[in-house]
Amino acid sequence: MPSASLVFQSVVLGVLLGGLYALLAAGLTLYFGVMRVVMIAHSAFLILAAYLAWYAHRETGIDPLLTLFVTVPLFFAAGVAMQRLLLTRLRPATLTMMSVLLTFSVALVIEGLLGYAFSGTQRRIRLGYSSASIEFFGARVAVVKLIAFGMAALALLGLYVLMKHSRFGQALRATIQHREAAQLLGIDTDRIAGYGFGLGLATAAVGGTALSLDTTIYPSLHWHWIGPLMAIIVVGGLGSVPGAAIAAMTLGMLQSLLQLELSTTWAQTVFYVALFATLAVRPQGFFGGRLAQRF
Amino acid sequence: MRRDSDTPSSVPFPRRRLLHLGALLAAVAVAVSFPSMAPSPYEITVGIAILNYAVLSTSWNFVGGFTGYISLGHGAFAGLGAYATGLLVAKGELPPFAALFVAAALVAVLAVPVGYAALRVRGASFVIVSIALVLVLLLVFQSWASFTGGSRGLVVPRPFPGMLRAEHHRTFYFLFLALLATALLVWWLIDRSRFGMGLKAIREDEDKAQSLGTPTYTYKLVVFVVSAAFTALAGGLYALWFGDLDPVFQFSILSGAYMVLMALLGGVRRLYGPLLGAVAVGYALEYAKVEYGDTPLHLVVAGLLLGVVVTFMPDGVIPAAAALLGRFRDTGRTSIREVTAAELRGRREQSDGKEVRDGERRGRGA
Repeated sequence: MPSASLVFQSVVLGVLLGGLYALLAAGLTLYFGVMRVVMIAHSAFLILAAYLAWYAHRETGIDPLLTLFVTVPLFFAAGVAMQRLLLTRLRPATLTMMSVLLTFSVALVIEGLLGYAFSGTQRRIRLGYSSASIEFFGARVAVVKLIAFGMAALALLGLYVLMKHSRFGQALRATIQHREAAQLLGIDTDRIAGYGFGLGLATAAVGGTALSLDTTIYPSLHWHWIGPLMAIIVVGGLGSVPGAAIAAMTLGMLQSLLQLELSTTWAQTVFYVALFATLAVRPQGFFGGRLAQRF
Repeated sequence: MRRDSDTPSSVPFPRRRLLHLGALLAAVAVAVSFPSMAPSPYEITVGIAILNYAVLSTSWNFVGGFTGYISLGHGAFAGLGAYATGLLVAKGELPPFAALFVAAALVAVLAVPVGYAALRVRGASFVIVSIALVLVLLLVFQSWASFTGGSRGLVVPRPFPGMLRAEHHRTFYFLFLALLATALLVWWLIDRSRFGMGLKAIREDEDKAQSLGTPTYTYKLVVFVVSAAFTALAGGLYALWFGDLDPVFQFSILSGAYMVLMALLGGVRRLYGPLLGAVAVGYALEYAKVEYGDTPLHLVVAGLLLGVVVTFMPDGVIPAAAALLGRFRDTGRTSIREVTAAELRGRREQSDGKEVRDGERRGRGA
């Protein structure tokens, strides 16, 4: 039995990890909401953002956080372009299935190009504050992890304010809830869906930069992220942002706690166990509403 | 007005059937004589690899083609079949081909709970589960090194110890060919059966199929298990042939993606669609391996190809090409009248409705 302080340390780390999961899962939920699309390439873009941060740091020595000013708008534009140019081409009848394949192929292309450009070598950013850590009620927490969590929390908060307290957010939520009704109210749902997709991809930019601070990255890393993220959105109920956030926190903490007793790889299986258990017991997820029923 | 049955360009039914039979016999003849024509054992190994892909994508097509449920994780069943066969031979001391069938049966049993969870949900969640299956099995087989050999790999003893390498390849070529023929036969039988009709009804509209009394859930589960069993047989045979298993390659999300790509490329609604797709993609893969080695660019090519097929030809290249050809062929199936509206009105004034049809026929002939 591990000591109480070790457990506490794990809980803190779990919360910090869960924050990042929550941000990324919120992005996935957005895609699903606006287009009924499961975006497999989400985590590939995550790793792409991490690579861009690493590359900028290696070439110019700037702080990886500064790359956000480039990657966030860039990814937003890429998301809009992807929705408008690729996903709207698919037939509505088979959109859900085919979009999975399409985004899967995007993920393969990104992984292949990253491998070609930067080779399969594992990369890591070394910063002045990489090894710094602070004491938090007896738990030692690395500063970079705190920064990553802070970024994720800020981005989530921004997303929340945007969704709840702006005209655009209202239009976006209306589009998610009922597309035809939103159109009748005069909302240009195609444009809004494009922006929604862009926002989703922007979360990957923030997440990727946060990830690059304290993680060793390599091109095929995205497979280790997409599985847990998919599990989170299914457990939380497809299309439900609060559900995704709660599931992300819970599962992130469980993973962190299990790492005390088991190896890292075994601890990661908790996501898949949760996924299969959810589908066997409650296929629509634990917080999913109307949307999740049919998917 | 449309007369589909007596269009001038359509071949009479028996002749068409003979044509099909002739093409089939020619294909079988080529496939069977290939090993004796191949200049070196290397070509036979390429043939085996392509046949392996063909069996895998045909097995995938049991679920993908009939029900329209796209599984990206069928590589998991191939990997499980391979490892189960390998472990039964290496640790269970079973005779190789008994192990192969026991392994396939085990995978089929395991596919029941997986299908139970995966098929309760439609569309998106199903794909998520299929991907998750591969990822979780990769984790398990890498971590559980004491049992599976982990990343060091698992060596499977050869089934025919005294056999020379060339002879070994030749034998397995025919084994894979037999497995492919069996898979195609079963697919064909299901395609013509009432069961197959129910599955296709699920593909077209699951709610309607259910409301008309098709036991959709049972049908989906049964075909999922059949598909998993064939995939496992292919994986197991591969294990016996290749003799060395590594979790990274056995539980690779990429192998599942290749199955989808091959089947979609050839056309999922056709019996030979996945086979043709496998020949095209499999040959390209083997060629690229020799010419360019193992660069990450093969991922890019596979991704681009999959993207193009999904975006522009979701029904496959063969149907797309057939549709393109059809544009240039005079099918006679048209409701366009080769008379002007004024002429038609004139005629209509002259005669009553029954004679208009005759007049129109004359008008088209002119």
